[in-house]
Amino acid sequence: MTTGQLRSWLEERVPVGDLTEALRHKTVPLHRHSAWYYFGGMTLFLFGIQVGTGALLLLYYRPSAAEAYESVRFIMTRVPFGWLVRSIHAWSANLMVATAFGHLFSVLFLHAYRRPREITWVSGLVLLMLTMAFGFTGYLLPWNQLSFFATRIGTDMAASLPLVGEFSVRLMRGGKEVTGATLTRLFGVHVAILPAAVTALIALHLFLVQRHGMSVPPSVEDESRRSGRPVASMPFWPHFVLHDLFGWTVALTLLAALSAYYPFELGLKADPFAPAPAGIRPEWYFLWIFQTLKYMPPSLFGLNGELVVIGVIGAAALVLLVFPFVLSERVRTFRIVSGMAVLALVYMTLMTIVGFVVSRPTP
Amino acid sequence: MNARASGLALSWLLAIPLPLTGQSIEEGARLAFQDDVHASAGLTCSSCHAGPSSRGFALPRIEVAPRCGKCHGDAAYMRQFDPQVRIDQYAQYLTSGHGKRMSTGDSRVATCSDCHGAHGVRRVRDPRSPVAPVNVAPTCARCHADAVRMAPFGREPKPFADWSASVHAEALLKRRDASAPTCNTCHGSHGATPPGVNQVANVCAQCHVREAELFRASPKKAIFEQIGQAECLACHGNHRIEHPTDAWVGLKDPAVCATCHDERGNGATTITDVEHSLGNLNRAIASAQSVLERAERAGMLVDDGWTAQRDGREHLIHSRVMVHAFAAKPFDDMARPGLAVAQQAERVGHDALHELQIRRRGLGIATVLVLGFLVTLWFKIRSVHAERPPR
Amino acid sequence: MASPGSNEILLGPARPPRRAVLDWLLGLWGAGVATSILYPVLRYLIPPELPEAATQSANAGLASTLAPDSARLVPFGLAPMIVVRTAAGEYRAFAGTCTHLACTVQYRADLQHIWCACHNGHYDLNGRNISGPPPRPLEEYDVNVRDDQIVVSRRV
Repeated sequence: MTTGQLRSWLEERVPVGDLTEALRHKTVPLHRHSAWYYFGGMTLFLFGIQVGTGALLLLYYRPSAAEAYESVRFIMTRVPFGWLVRSIHAWSANLMVATAFGHLFSVLFLHAYRRPREITWVSGLVLLMLTMAFGFTGYLLPWNQLSFFATRIGTDMAASLPLVGEFSVRLMRGGKEVTGATLTRLFGVHVAILPAAVTALIALHLFLVQRHGMSVPPSVEDESRRSGRPVASMPFWPHFVLHDLFGWTVALTLLAALSAYYPFELGLKADPFAPAPAGIRPEWYFLWIFQTLKYMPPSLFGLNGELVVIGVIGAAALVLLVFPFVLSERVRTFRIVSGMAVLALVYMTLMTIVGFVVSRPTP
Repeated sequence: MNARASGLALSWLLAIPLPLTGQSIEEGARLAFQDDVHASAGLTCSSCHAGPSSRGFALPRIEVAPRCGKCHGDAAYMRQFDPQVRIDQYAQYLTSGHGKRMSTGDSRVATCSDCHGAHGVRRVRDPRSPVAPVNVAPTCARCHADAVRMAPFGREPKPFADWSASVHAEALLKRRDASAPTCNTCHGSHGATPPGVNQVANVCAQCHVREAELFRASPKKAIFEQIGQAECLACHGNHRIEHPTDAWVGLKDPAVCATCHDERGNGATTITDVEHSLGNLNRAIASAQSVLERAERAGMLVDDGWTAQRDGREHLIHSRVMVHAFAAKPFDDMARPGLAVAQQAERVGHDALHELQIRRRGLGIATVLVLGFLVTLWFKIRSVHAERPPR
Repeated sequence: MASPGSNEILLGPARPPRRAVLDWLLGLWGAGVATSILYPVLRYLIPPELPEAATQSANAGLASTLAPDSARLVPFGLAPMIVVRTAAGEYRAFAGTCTHLACTVQYRADLQHIWCACHNGHYDLNGRNISGPPPRPLEEYDVNVRDDQIVVSRRV
């Protein structure tokens, strides 16, 4: 049987022929900012790695306060290549958040949120938040000292919300305090609820990206209009895919190298009755919020300081969600958006660095 | 015991009229008595005080113990308050150093009220009582650490300072281990007398059973008896008992064995053997510790190593006990398995570090495959671009 | 255009040999990379010798080798545990760490007690501290014997 015969046999029963044909004709713009196009696919690849390693971890992990830590320890010491699967999962989580942020900022700077891609933008923003939720819920699962106390502090931040503060904390913790109930709840969120939501949104996001095609930055568009030459492009298949494959292979090798040289630490089992260890801080992608909260005075203009920060961040998130719908397509507007994005990036980076430096336990 | 009651007791000890509190002695006593365990038992002033005399209501010092003993030595009487309470305190007191002197009329020694208080007497188990376990030593020290007081009796005021620097004081006061010995544990409370030279070991043996058993089975016991040397004390001291170190075993300073032994005499080979064996075990444990820590820092988990290390440490503790057999074989029988287990712990650490190298080698192989793939892929990409160049 | 009669017209355009080699090489190295991914995954899937972490329960050796009126010390996680078989044949298990200063306890057949050699602490066969400095009883575990295997588990 030849490949051709096999293909037509399959095509008759699973008719994807016109879809694959469309993909063969898809092109990707080629210009000086094209490198940023790979961030989305990289994030998707890393998500795939998370699903794969996560499924493997699920074969040995036990989501109860009495057994979680020991089961992770078991994976790292007794299961063949368990150390590799767990470390890749942990490192890839961090890498995925980084590439997701990279994707966000590149979309901002290249103004790919413009009409008609507003819904793509919204779905992407929600995906970013869900990714951070993945990180937050997953961090607790080894049930070690650092993650236990980081979760306690993290969920505490919700207490300052007006009206719904205490209820939100109870909802997140599965009770008043961080206990085994919190572990089970966040585990359910991490392995079922979030994957379902993220898969649905990724499907929407990818569908929209395919239908709309890749956005070309306004500067490149203007250049092309002025010179009269169309924007260069390359075929999606096989060129772009092969480029993607190159990047993905490098990423996977990097993850394996990190696991072999910098295995993710496990630390000590969580002890709710012990005092919080020195230098407790949330994961790096929450650090800028954490540090900002620390610098807020307890009350600002008569309002709770923490509430002000959460309010400002909430307002910023709302603006981010909505602004593509109300933007006018002028160069000046784009410049303002880029400017604000630069400010946000600088602020977040600065606060993250400060957060690292000040939380280093004194020797 | 509150300040007023203490002031009252002290004033009688020092024969100084009560100053400073600005109230009469009777008022102070009545106030202090409100917290007294005798008051809650229904006793009143007249239960102990006959009536005013030329010196007021106070009892003469030599009359205090017999007065307390009248009730506290009466089994039938005491039973109504506490069926389990002892009634031999006065009898014991009479056998004590304090009691003997008091009987001769010398009232410069301690009597009941000096330690228990006079009008604010609390139960021994009340942490505010001056004779609660954590408070006993400072109470004794009121006199026994006072050079002026001790001089007429030819006693040095050192014991309290010495004991305070000991491991027992650390256990009692820092670790709050109520089983740790204080003055009365070894000297007795009511029958307080220093234990005789031949009896010291019995006192230590109350808790340090194994060491005492080993010592008694060893040749040292007969030798010490012969030369009139107190057991335990010869090496460990009596009040200032500090943490023994492994350096104590040997023939040169700071080894305690060197006090009597030298290279030429009996026991020199045994001492050297034990010294070497102990040294080896310590080195093996330290070496295992450093390897295991290195493995952990490198990210490897070495649970089996820590279990073995724990076992090795147990053997070290037991070996140090076995020193008291003063013979090479019993010591070795304990130290050798410890050495084996410590070496096993070290092996686990080395295996973990080796495993780390294996992982890196595996990574190296995978990287070679990946590099081959990437190079080929790069050429493929180039060829694909050549075939269908970007428009 | 090729001249008539040449093979190229008859057979149609064929992939140039160099590109075929490239594809073949790519497939080969790709298979290598795929193997280096699949091998750890497959090894991972096969359960290890010790099937689960000793969290709630641990094996404590064979029942047939534990005589009555004797005991055995085994690790439970990172801490020791003492499994006692009483003179009557009953199995009991306790944490093996003395509650005084954390020395490992042992069984004294002459006293029918659990004993700590460090400072003469005594525990009865219910784990209760009966004499000496230990301030608290020993934590008791559940013991079950399955097919000559003693299994000790934490009490919930």
